[in-house]
Amino acid sequence: MKKILFSTLFTIALTVGLWAQEDSTVVVKVKDKPVRPPFQSGYLIDNQTTYISSPKTLELDIHHKFGKMGNGFSDLFGIYAPGANIRIGFSYTPIKNLQVGYGIAKQNMFSDFSAKYTVFEQTRKNTFPVALALYGNVAIDGRNKDVWSLSYKGSNRLSYFGQVIVSRKFTDWCAVQLNSSFSHFNSVDSLYDHDKISVGINAKFQFSPQSSILVQYDLPLKIQGIAEHTEFYKPAKPNFGIAWEISTSTHTFQIFVTTCESLLPQQNAMYNQNDFTNGDIMFGFLITRLWGF
Amino acid sequence: MKTRFLFISSLLLIAFAIYAFNVPQDQKKPAPWKIDAKFKAMKNPAPGDAESIKLGKALYAKHCKSCHGNLGLGDGPKAANLETFPGDFSDAKWQATYNDGEVYYMIFAGRDDMPKFDGKIDEEGTWAVVNYVRSLKK
Repeated sequence: MKKILFSTLFTIALTVGLWAQEDSTVVVKVKDKPVRPPFQSGYLIDNQTTYISSPKTLELDIHHKFGKMGNGFSDLFGIYAPGANIRIGFSYTPIKNLQVGYGIAKQNMFSDFSAKYTVFEQTRKNTFPVALALYGNVAIDGRNKDVWSLSYKGSNRLSYFGQVIVSRKFTDWCAVQLNSSFSHFNSVDSLYDHDKISVGINAKFQFSPQSSILVQYDLPLKIQGIAEHTEFYKPAKPNFGIAWEISTSTHTFQIFVTTCESLLPQQNAMYNQNDFTNGDIMFGFLITRLWGF
Repeated sequence: MKTRFLFISSLLLIAFAIYAFNVPQDQKKPAPWKIDAKFKAMKNPAPGDAESIKLGKALYAKHCKSCHGNLGLGDGPKAANLETFPGDFSDAKWQATYNDGEVYYMIFAGRDDMPKFDGKIDEEGTWAVVNYVRSLKK
């Protein structure tokens, strides 16, 4: 009897001991938190960033570009020039990492509906070494239907833009992002292609808690595989821009010079004929205002 | 009739002048905060941590400096337009009056001129601002 009791207790003690050993070797998973926001705003001149405001935040954007600076003092470096463009937009963040928006722009009387989703954020211990965001919009060209002549259909007005953005915050003062985008226009002039793939690199260099220098370079690609013609007619030129960004609690201001005159990314990727190496640049600014609910 | 009109007008003018010269021109002194017991009992996860103070300083510059001033003296460029004096964080008495959880609540919930930062600054950032505000004590 004593033997049975002893062996039972011994077995229980050994089993508990083994369990205890197992417990002590369980890897404690420490939650890896996202890095603090790599960008101060969802915009980087003409581009989107991986940053999305907190949930239940409404954002107002006023995006303006003056005319080209080429005429110098005669039109005060484009400020008095007639080719100005402006976009007024709203966006809202209903849930974490998802933003939806609507805007209207002067050029081509565009209305656009957009959505951005940050699939994952860069984390502090590099569980995710980069942030990944998806951005897309649908734009409606609001000009008179005579623009499309006899072949007019309502769907001619539509154009689409989809983009993948990957960002990496290297330090508190430096963040870089790469993007790749696909633009599609339902209707284009006969010599143009309907589709365009573009890539870009954007960077932020923050030099004070509120101020940063932003740089963008977007390169529309000439890919024969998606082209409809043997030669590219007026292929879009790269877009270069540099900005000074000032960020406060509820506002962001960006004052920039840039190459493209449109405020819609697919329009820039498809049609930009301004060449910054020839001095085709213009002043512009962006103001964002946030309201929390 | 004319005399009565002149008399009433003069009375109104004098009343307005008396009122105009007696309207308080100074900012109001801040009333004591009514703070939820839950916040009073909150413990600061990293009091005095250098990394946290560094982050707090950056967030303070972005969100708070325009009213509270560079050194927390309540003399930022927007302070003069506030109805209530925004407080002097260098004052040892102010620092002793409120614990960290209470300062966290002020930032989180706000009141009157002080906006709420819930949704604008996350929890980690809010504690960092608390730590930076503590470092402004003289």
